[in-house]
Amino acid sequence: MGSLRTFIKDVRSAKTLADERLIITKESAKIRTKLKDDHLPLDKRRKNIHKLLYLYILGEKTHFAQVECINLIASDDFRDKRLGYLAAMLLLDENQEILTLLTNMMNNDLNHPNRYVVSLALNTLGSLMSPELARDLYPDVENILNHSMDTYLLKKALQCAAKLVSRDVALLEIFYPYVEKIIKSHQLYSHGVLLGVTKLCQSALLSKATYEYDDYPTILSSLTNIIPDLFSLLQDLSSTNFNPEFDVNGTCDPFLQVEILYTLRLMFEAAPQETERYLDKLNDMLTQIATNVDGSKNSAHAVLYECVRTIFSLQLDQSLKVLGVNILAKFLSGKDNNNKYVALNTLLRVVPLEPQAVKRHRKFISRCLFDVDVSIKMRSLELTFAILDDSNMKELIEELIEFLEVSSEDDKDLITYIVEHTIDLFEIREINDDEWKLNIIVRIMKLVGQYISVEKIGDVLIMINNAQNMQFKTETIKKILEITVGKSKESVSEFNIGWKLMSLWSIGEYAELVLGQSNITDVDLTDYLCKTNNIYADDIKLISYALTAALKLSSKIQTASCIEDLRQLINSHLTDTNLMLQAKSSQYSILFNQPAQRKHAILEAMPLFTKRTKSNSPGPEKIARPTKPVETNLLLDLLDDIPTASENSNAVPDLLNDTLAQERNTSQHSNDVALNVNTRPENAYKNIVEIPQEASMLYESPNLQAFSEVSSSVAGEAKLEVFIKGVQSISNLHILAAVAKTQRLTLGPLSSTSVGRGEVAKQHMQITGSGKLKLRIKVSFTANGQADAEQFDHKFDITI
Amino acid sequence: MTDIKYMLLVSRQGKSRLMKWYSVYTAKEKAKIIRELTTAVLSRKPKMCNILEYQDHKVVYKRYASLYFICGINADTDNELLTLEIIHRFVETMDAYFNNVCELDIIFNFNKAYNILDEVLMCDGSITETSKQDILRHIATMDTLETSDNLNKVLS
Repeated sequence: MGSLRTFIKDVRSAKTLADERLIITKESAKIRTKLKDDHLPLDKRRKNIHKLLYLYILGEKTHFAQVECINLIASDDFRDKRLGYLAAMLLLDENQEILTLLTNMMNNDLNHPNRYVVSLALNTLGSLMSPELARDLYPDVENILNHSMDTYLLKKALQCAAKLVSRDVALLEIFYPYVEKIIKSHQLYSHGVLLGVTKLCQSALLSKATYEYDDYPTILSSLTNIIPDLFSLLQDLSSTNFNPEFDVNGTCDPFLQVEILYTLRLMFEAAPQETERYLDKLNDMLTQIATNVDGSKNSAHAVLYECVRTIFSLQLDQSLKVLGVNILAKFLSGKDNNNKYVALNTLLRVVPLEPQAVKRHRKFISRCLFDVDVSIKMRSLELTFAILDDSNMKELIEELIEFLEVSSEDDKDLITYIVEHTIDLFEIREINDDEWKLNIIVRIMKLVGQYISVEKIGDVLIMINNAQNMQFKTETIKKILEITVGKSKESVSEFNIGWKLMSLWSIGEYAELVLGQSNITDVDLTDYLCKTNNIYADDIKLISYALTAALKLSSKIQTASCIEDLRQLINSHLTDTNLMLQAKSSQYSILFNQPAQRKHAILEAMPLFTKRTKSNSPGPEKIARPTKPVETNLLLDLLDDIPTASENSNAVPDLLNDTLAQERNTSQHSNDVALNVNTRPENAYKNIVEIPQEASMLYESPNLQAFSEVSSSVAGEAKLEVFIKGVQSISNLHILAAVAKTQRLTLGPLSSTSVGRGEVAKQHMQITGSGKLKLRIKVSFTANGQADAEQFDHKFDITI
Repeated sequence: MTDIKYMLLVSRQGKSRLMKWYSVYTAKEKAKIIRELTTAVLSRKPKMCNILEYQDHKVVYKRYASLYFICGINADTDNELLTLEIIHRFVETMDAYFNNVCELDIIFNFNKAYNILDEVLMCDGSITETSKQDILRHIATMDTLETSDNLNKVLS
């Protein structure tokens, strides 16, 4: 068997992956057999483990050697020990039971006369700290802290102590005194030891929440005692001119500086009262560092960045916050991408605290949009929207459009983000400046229409449709169509499907606004539709928009040849293989032949759309789909949980309310749709609903009375009507009902959602299933301008 | 606070050269992290920033010649810029130890690289020593201990 060196060389010289595999598997098998041999001499054992570690780096299985590395640790030879501990740290983790085998050896080594043996054991304890090892070995660590004057061992023991505390919080009581003790004894001063002290201190502060005993205040006051020491350390470090041992590009030990800053931050957070008297000093300290640090190198930036994080975590003085934002802005204005990344990230968190200060650096933020790194772009985009307000909106949107102008396919996520947020922004901020809004939208569509999802295009169309100012609306449509039919200097990419959809829709809806008002003729529009129909025959979405546009356009133009072309267009899909297009085509061809007047009435312009709530899906077909059975099931389960619910528990009605609230939204929405489409003339019912003589009263309140009449009941099914009579005038009426779990409820339409005094609304219900008939009904409504809800139960003398 | 979850050294060809885990991961998770990060980091362009978000944490990486040093860090408490400096300290220390370190040094002497790393970071990836000289001195003494057969003879 060759040496490790030959093995590594063999692996590296393998020509193919298969060769490499073969070499590795062979060697792995060899090592396995060798290690099984109990009489293998120690040096051979070590060699094999060494090779095994190479396998570990290659990502091979190494579990079979776990016990072997423990055997190596037991050896007296330093070489064996060193490799054994290294192997243990790599091959084991703290979840393995095998660790208990280590306890005795580590206990011996932690008390070994040679500092390096102790150090190996400390390192291993630090990385393999199972609860058992922590419990068994903490006295050894304490022993080192207590007696050793060796900074090399102290720093490691402190790190271990910090981990011991975080592993078992009860150990805090034992270890916390060493923070103060060690930092005050200046003969132990070394950066390593100080790092260890800050670590232990951090660990002690972080365990505040989980520490169970009541002496935490004592611990805290001992910890806060070191604040002056930390201050003077920080002062020394930040004013040291040059110390070759710790200098990193002109900054003295940034690692220790950052650890001290973080410790201070935790300290001020954990003990606001005890630290209050130091607050001014902290402010001075941070200002001093922020202004002193010569900030051109990453090491300096790391310290500055930590200062900024401290400022904002602790919500320090206004002037410091502004200083913090300015530091971040400086990061943004520089060339280093890592600085930009952390700055944008931090600014995103800072915006809510210091909006004005952040806004001042708008220019730098926008500039990051043009960075090469996508995560920087994305963050600067998020930040742009975060700082956007009424005063800078137009300017910022303009900058975003500049970005869109140079964007490419790779920026798809960013483009989608911009489009979605811009559209949302228009809605949320209720921008009424139609001219600007439409202008922006058209520009966006022109630039990146191909990346916009169909849903968002729907939003764009709604926005155009709902524009109040007819003049701008007309101008916008004119602009769009001029570009589309090629009568403008500007042009749009052939791949811009979004733009095409928008054009097709505009031709169908608004042709009359531009015909005769501009150089666009009906022939242009007809030609465009025909061209689209021919070129994009396989794009179902486009064709179906084109079909509708053709139909609508036909009622708006007079030229006979054009009308004929449009007819041809529609008829060309009568035998389309796509069912939807075929159906559309045949329906449209029937409509096409209707007398002009009727056709006109059918093809009237779309009404103003009501704003959709976000959770709802866009198409009216989808909204109209009844969601009630599902809701009822939810209610059924609830009813089952609370057999006598009316008098107990608050939580359940809340739940009920939630489901009801959802229901209300959707049903309200279907009402909106119903109004628009005008299929169900609600008012017609209103006056004819009367309560039949035989109806029984279910419930009465100052607002309303409820009655019901069972119209039929057979085994397994009952039909009944519920009547709500207004004692006073109520509106937004909605009824929800639940039945026993063995039954299923189907709700019919409510005859009217508002009833005047003495008027009646009727709700049909069908209950299927078995068992006694009982109902829980919840009526929600608005009376005297206030939303209200009432709930009642009723048991019928009927069993189905 | 330095709270490094893992330190991986990956070559430009995507081969793993060193790995050290400071948090507990299963073998499967480790393999996944290595695979995904190797692809993610190798495909990044030189001008991009050295920080990326990965799973629930962040990853800071830096390329030195043909080797990528990849560190998983805590997304909230770790200082990304400082992590770059920690990587750099580790590289500098190896550079001094191997006298102009190159990828081959690390391949053939990976145990030495681990020894150095163990002096820089301990426990849960917490920085332990920032003095290069100090680390080198201790490593050198340990190396002499290894060459001596009898441990007790060299006790100081």
